[in-house]
Amino acid sequence: MQLPPVLRSVMGGERWLEAQGNSIAAVLADLARRHPALGLHFFDEQGAIRRNIVFLHDGEMVRAKDAGARRIGPDDEIVLTNALAGG
Amino acid sequence: MPVSLVVGTPKGAAVLNSKDGRSWDEDFVLRGWPCTASARDDQGRVYVAVNSPNYGVAIFVSDDLAEWKQLASAPRYRPEDRGNAEHHRIVSQMDFTGMLKGGGRFVDQIWTLHFAHGALYAGVSEAGLFVSRDRGESWQPIDGFNNHPTRDSWTPGFGGLGAHTILSDAKNPNRMWVGVSAAGLFRSDDGGKTWNPKNKGVNPAVDSAPASTGQCIHHAAHDPADANIIFRQEHRGVHRSDDGGDTWQVIEDGLPVAELSDGHRCSFGFPMVMDRRSKSVFVVPLDGDNFRFPRGGQLAVYRSDDGRHWRARTKGLPENCYAGVLRGAMAADQNGGIYFGTTSGSIYGSHDLGESWRELASGLPRVMSVEVCAA
Repeated sequence: MQLPPVLRSVMGGERWLEAQGNSIAAVLADLARRHPALGLHFFDEQGAIRRNIVFLHDGEMVRAKDAGARRIGPDDEIVLTNALAGG
Repeated sequence: MPVSLVVGTPKGAAVLNSKDGRSWDEDFVLRGWPCTASARDDQGRVYVAVNSPNYGVAIFVSDDLAEWKQLASAPRYRPEDRGNAEHHRIVSQMDFTGMLKGGGRFVDQIWTLHFAHGALYAGVSEAGLFVSRDRGESWQPIDGFNNHPTRDSWTPGFGGLGAHTILSDAKNPNRMWVGVSAAGLFRSDDGGKTWNPKNKGVNPAVDSAPASTGQCIHHAAHDPADANIIFRQEHRGVHRSDDGGDTWQVIEDGLPVAELSDGHRCSFGFPMVMDRRSKSVFVVPLDGDNFRFPRGGQLAVYRSDDGRHWRARTKGLPENCYAGVLRGAMAADQNGGIYFGTTSGSIYGSHDLGESWRELASGLPRVMSVEVCAA
């Protein structure tokens, strides 16, 4: 998973992180387990993936609410970014 | 005497360092993170709270103001905590994905960090108080405050429902105060288990608000070693208490009085700090809640030396300034140095208790917080 620039400061500047999981949601959960500081930024108090973040996978934009259903392969790359509102 | 300032802005934090109080160097850290509050503990560690509309709230720490690490824990409500609908309406401007529609209670901003008696406290919005007793590694909600019996009567201010001010008593670890916009000031005498509103003598923010929990406190200041005497900047004027907040009197002699939007006349402003050695108190009045900039464009800091009468201190401050100073954007180094930042991105400092001022930095984003973190 590629982190956006602002979240790289949480991980010592790392841009790409390796993770395990067969869905985008599972990948986030794996990263949150191994890096709790990052987990704060993925999940809100209700335990839901923050709705203001979206993912780019296989040429498509995937919203937070669809992260659980989005299947990924072992060598897939995911870009985490924030929802854009123009301007 | 060496001084360092940590200045919170929506784009990161400026760290200003000076060895002599006259020449300053500047670094810009935590880039991309809105930095909303900061504090230093008794071991010199500096904490900076950040909040992102996309990635939520967190706390970064540094032991040298150069290397920063984010803590793995932050103040957070429980999934079952219910939110305030009016607060949600106010803060939902950035919630274009509807996170708040479920009605939960969220920490959307840390307004203040306060270190006292070995513990770090966080005042947050949606209004709440949290404590860490392990230097931020874990946080616990203070339920006696967060689930206060009067909470249903609490009405948000213009910026939402926020617990933005914390005061402590250096001689009594069980006694502390928390200010909430717009529910007023609360005091605990039993270590945070129970809290009582302390607003007698202070006008509610609007005439229709509850008499005991409808005050829009903007900020408060005192000497923790002499905790009973408290100064308070309200939406409706400047006040003083000599009994720990049980009763309040208006103290506006010498302050500019403005007409508020509802016709009430009082001195309006946000920040308030005290220099504990001299007992001088400082405020930055604005020309009412309709305009929110210095009267006539003259940026002015007012100082009270006796806790009752005020005089303007403007030497070195601009005459054509239509920016404001936010509640957390002023600090005292307790050695005669007073510092504040404007919403137009300038930092001003005085080394002589406000007798004269100098611009220390400019070109910053809107200044949200100023903290002296080494002196």
